[in-house]
Parts: sequence; C-alpha cells; structure tokens
Amino acid sequence: MSGPGSGGAYSFSLTTFSPSGKLVQIEHALAAVSGGTTSLGIKATNGIVLATEKKSPSLLIDPSALEKVAPICPNIGFVYSGMGPDFRILVAKARKIAQAYWKVYGEYPPTKVLVQEVAGVMQKATQSGGVRPYGISLLIAGWDSHRNQSLWQIDPSGSYWAWKASAIGKNMVNAKTFLEKRYNDELSLEDAIHTALLTLKEGFEGQMTEQTIEIGVITVPTPEQMEEKSGERLPPTFRKLSENEVRDYLSL
Amino acid sequence: MNSVLTQLQPSAPHQNRLEEQDELDRTDAASWGSMAGFGNLDRTGGVQGMSIPRVSDPTSFLDMHTDNMSSNPDAKIKIAHGTTTLAFKFQGGVIVAVDSRATAGSYVASGTVKKVIEINKFLLGTMAGGAADCQYWETYLGMQCRLYELRNKERISVAAASKILSNIVYQYKGMGLSMGTMVCGWDKTGPCIFYVDSDGQRLKGDLFSVGSGSTFAYGVLDQGYRWDLTDEEAQELGRRSIIAAGHRDAYSGNTCNLYHVKENGWDFIGNYDVNELWYEYEGKKKAERESQNAAAAAGASPMAVEP
Amino acid sequence: MENNGGSVVAMIGKDCVAIASDLRLGNQAVGIASNFDKVFPVNDKLYYGLPGLATDVYTLKEHLRFRVNMYRMKEEREITPKTFTHLVSSTLYEKRFGPFFIEPVVAGLPTPTELDPHPKPFISTMDTIGCVTTPKDFAVAGTAADKLYGVAEGLWEPDLEPEDLFETVSQTLLNAVDRDALSGWGAVVHIITHDKVITRTLRARMD
Repeated sequence: MSGPGSGGAYSFSLTTFSPSGKLVQIEHALAAVSGGTTSLGIKATNGIVLATEKKSPSLLIDPSALEKVAPICPNIGFVYSGMGPDFRILVAKARKIAQAYWKVYGEYPPTKVLVQEVAGVMQKATQSGGVRPYGISLLIAGWDSHRNQSLWQIDPSGSYWAWKASAIGKNMVNAKTFLEKRYNDELSLEDAIHTALLTLKEGFEGQMTEQTIEIGVITVPTPEQMEEKSGERLPPTFRKLSENEVRDYLSL
Repeated sequence: MNSVLTQLQPSAPHQNRLEEQDELDRTDAASWGSMAGFGNLDRTGGVQGMSIPRVSDPTSFLDMHTDNMSSNPDAKIKIAHGTTTLAFKFQGGVIVAVDSRATAGSYVASGTVKKVIEINKFLLGTMAGGAADCQYWETYLGMQCRLYELRNKERISVAAASKILSNIVYQYKGMGLSMGTMVCGWDKTGPCIFYVDSDGQRLKGDLFSVGSGSTFAYGVLDQGYRWDLTDEEAQELGRRSIIAAGHRDAYSGNTCNLYHVKENGWDFIGNYDVNELWYEYEGKKKAERESQNAAAAAGASPMAVEP
Repeated sequence: MENNGGSVVAMIGKDCVAIASDLRLGNQAVGIASNFDKVFPVNDKLYYGLPGLATDVYTLKEHLRFRVNMYRMKEEREITPKTFTHLVSSTLYEKRFGPFFIEPVVAGLPTPTELDPHPKPFISTMDTIGCVTTPKDFAVAGTAADKLYGVAEGLWEPDLEPEDLFETVSQTLLNAVDRDALSGWGAVVHIITHDKVITRTLRARMD
C-alpha cells in the first residue's frame, strides 16, 4: 500500500503523529539534547550569565576552535546543548534575522522578538516535509530597553519559556535542583557567575579549566553607555568572557 | 517703429540690421493704417527697435529659454501665466474685473499686480499671459490711440484700437509673445469689448473671460448674466466671478480689481481681498442654510412663496 | 508633488513638538478639496505627515498602519519616533526604482525610560526614497518647502513653550503657503505634549 521500500503505516513522514498523539521525532530530538553537554543560564539583578561545559572527544583536538557560546547581535547571545552542527545553522539564521530587523528598524531586536523568530524556525522543522527537527535546546540571554535582561529557553519542538535560571543537557535535572536551592532574586552578576560555575561542577567529568568552560554574560548598561555619540556604536551588552577572565573566576 | 516691424519679420536677415535700418525708416510708414502719411515714430521717442537674438532662428532660441511655448516647462525664464480676467457688456456699460496674482511656476511672485491697463479715459485693456508683453504693448497702444486722436480730432473706436493691437501681435506671431487681452471701452457705438490674443485672434463679443481661472469665472458669470442687470448687480457679478476663480484656481487670487466703463469713461470701483470676500460669501451661504433649516423645522416649506 | 500640491512643517519646542499641514487637494491648478488631511497619528505621542501624491498618501498611510499594528502586537510596546522613522525609511527604499511620491515628516515625543528619563523631542524628514535627516529645529516638506524654510528660519527659536510653538508653527505655515500656488486652502496644527495633543484648524486664505 505504501511506496516501494516503505516500512508500513508509520513511515509516511518524520512529522506524523503516533497513535498516542506524540511526535516521536521530537521526543528523539529531546533525547539528543539530553545526551549533550550541560549548559545553564542564570538571570541576575544587573545581568545574565550563560555557562557551558566544553568537552573534547579527543586530547588531540585544539579546544580553542570549539565554540558553544555564540553572540547573535550586540545585545543577545546563545548557548546550546545537543548537536553542534544544528546549532551553527541556527546561529547563522538567528544572526541573519537580527540583521534583517536592524535593516528595517535601525536597532537590534528585543530578546523576545528574536526568541519568537528562532522558535518559529525550529517549529517549522517539526511540520515541514523532508526535514528533521533540530537536535538542540537553546538558552538565550539578551538585554533590551523594553524588557531589560531576560533569559529564554527554546526546545526542538519550538516551545519557549522565560527563566530566572535554567539548565539543559546531560545533567539538567541535577543542575536545576541545584539552581533552585541556590537562586534568589537579589543575585548580582558576580554571584551568578560563581553559582553557574558551582552548578557545572556538580557532575563535571574531568578538570574544570578555562579550556573546558565557556561563559557569556549580559551586562545591563548605564545611561551614559546608552548615550548616542555620532560615529560611534553603542557598546555591546552581551560578551563572551576571555580565557583569562574564566581562569580568574575558576581560581576564586 | 515701422522699421522695427519689418525687421522682425521672421524672414528678414539679421546680420546687417544697422545698415538696413536707415533705409527702412524712410520706406514704409504707410504700412500702419492708423498713422499713414505721418512719418515714423523713431525720432519722436517711440519704439526704437526691438533687439532680436543674433542667431539664425530667434524663435526656437527663445523657446529654449522661456516656458512660454509649453515645450520647455523647466526653462530658466518663466513667464507669468496664471490669471483670471473678465469683462462683459450690459445695459449700464462694461464691467471689467480681474485678479491680482502673478506666479512664476508655483511661486506666488506678487499678489498686488494691476492687470487692468488704463489705456486712456475711455479704454481699458486686461492682462493675461505674459505680464510684460501685455503691459508694454497696451501702453504702446495707448500712445497710438492718442496719436490717432490728435490726427483725426476724435476718439478712436474700440474696434480700431483693438485692431492696432492685433496687428502688432500678428507681426510677432510665432516669436513667443503671450497675451490674452480684452480691449474694453465706450465709443460712438456704445459699450464695446474686443478680445485680442497673441495668436492674432480678434473677436467682438458681449462677455469674455480669459486666463487659467476663466472656466470658473464663466461658471458664475453665465448663471448670473442678464443684459438688464443694474449697475450694482453687474458689479457684484463681476466681483463674485473673480472670487470664485481666485478660490478654485491655484494661479489666481489675492485681490480683485473692479472697473465700470460708462458713457463718460471708466470708473475704478474698488480693490477687494479675495479671501475676505470668500469668507463673507461662505458666511452668507451658511446663514441662509440655517434660516432655511429653521423654517423647515418650524413646519414651513422652504419653497413657500411669501404672501 | 506638483500634481496634488500640499505641504507639511514640523518644529521642536520645549518638551513638545508641533506638526502642521495645509488642507488642499488639487488637480494641478484646480483646487478639489479643502479638507485633505496629510498628518496622521501613530499614537498620542507620535504623528507623521505625508505631503506629495495623494494616491500614495493613502497607500503609504495604510501600509504604515499595517506595519505599526504588527509591530505593536509582536513587540507588545509602542513604536518610538526614531524606530518609526527607520520603518518609514526602509519602506520607502523598498520602492527605490518606482518610488512613492511622498516626502514624509515625522514628529514625536519619545516616552521616558529608566535609562533615558528625559528624552529629547524628535522630528525627522525624508526624501522620496527614504534618506533620513533629523534636524534639531524644524523640518519642512511639500510644494511650499522652500518657502517654509525661509519663514521657519526667521521665526523659529529654541525652547518654545507649547502655546508659543503653536503660534510659531502656524504663522510659518500660513505665510509660506500664501506664497505657494499649490498649497493652502486651510491648515491644521497638532501640538504634541507629554499630557495631551492640541489639534487646531486655522482660518487660512482660501485663494
């Protein structure tokens, strides 16, 4: 009844509901995320931290070429757990979306707007023919004048949430429990960075060094920083910490 | 003067103008019907000679630099076009009414232009098209009319005066003169209006309106015109027509100049602000509507004939 | 521009902005309507004027209404004068090779935020394909633009209070359009302040 070489009623397409009402491929994509290295994000009173564990499959790989935290536009950064290649495709798309927004409005998108756009891209992969869902979850940290700093998560299904703190990847359940205990609303960015490192330490395999940890931060700008000077760009609110900075935080 | 006209004929060679002039001065004074046998005017301070661009084709040269022929709307030299002028005959004489706006492109260059040229005590000329063309030639016409009077010991007829003008402009036909004028006056035959334009057209008639706003003026004029209008009614009709045109036409407006030509010559009736009169008319219309509505509300038919 | 005529002027005052336009709609020399609005609100802090070809006034106005409504829903906030200017500009440049015959003028008061508690009043203007200028004093556009420049240059002064700004912008518009054959036939003025918008129609020359 189905086409030649088909495996029967459940192989119409990758986006067909199972009788129980699930899209099995999305479940599988989430499984791929759970297999990925742990990433987490914490919102503080004056910023946000994104942190992730960076694991080389071989000693021979140069870790400085691996990047898991990616700036999208001056006010937004991503980190992921799951499949690296899928992440790079989404980063490229997100950067393009941010620039397209800038082209129309002369400013970069508010975090929520970019999150919605990227979530739309990810959702499309669960409903279109001939494609598979993205095998990653994203943590998105951003700052904008409308909502200030905000931290978001997007799953392969395209669902998204705003968090005070969240973790994704291999150790997410433990990490979330840890964050729930450690989190409070008065957290400063410095505290949050330390909390992030402590959380990663739980269940970290091997040595935590500036080569195996990656950190990105949102810093809430001061009014002076937001003042427009002709010929000058506004300073970015999202930046990645250098290896030296990471080393300093680890040694404290 | 005669030399000028001969000289300006498109076929005339322009290279040797000065040499030719003396010879021409002597020959053709008779080409002017109105001054036949009276020598030429050059020595008495008349038109000395209109200088012509020293190019092979002065007509197309002028075209390039003026917006007159509409072939070149972006030309540097803009000639004033927008105007509303009107004149009509009626039982009490001739009413002449004009606006006072001068435009260069869409720029309102002046709002106080005198578009009625007082040729003499009995003759008025209106101004539409090129302001300078009208002003110059109608002033010149005034001169010719005075000479006619001196020579013939009687006033020139409107017909003859208008023909002098039409003959002049015909000599220059195709060279870019732009005039649409009404020569109005009172002569032995009574009130009289002639329309003369730079194409050489010359028409006698009871009622004319000339200029970019003429269509609007005609609208009001035609619906209110009767031969047996009283003086006051006629003056009001002329005024109202100019206000209507000044309102609708972008190139007309500012003020209205009103003249009344009677048996003993013309009277200047007044200068009226188009804007103030427009609001006055609007106010009256509004009040009328309101009183009609009030009457209708009171149960009376607005069409009811008063006892 | 010369087809339908019309002009707009905007001015900056002290914690207020003004935007005003004539009301003429013409068909070349012939006046057709004396109630043709060219200034529209985006919200009660932001207005814009679209002098130029009347058919494009409607098209662009509706297009911008659509874009602003979409923005409002997607972003859950009001668009700022600066962002709106960019939106208009990019909308115009989309039609670079077949432009709208419109020279927009934008005037608004940005809402104070934590970071910028005292934002400056904002005006901007564009050419037909969206090249933006953001003057610190006044912006003019339309068939009477050159005349408006002349009068505004003479009348404008810094830090005018709302009522003084109203007088200045009204006199500027009225006197400029009296020297333009294609503008006039009534005028409307909007003064945008933090707590209200004052809109007045002026008794203008009708010739």
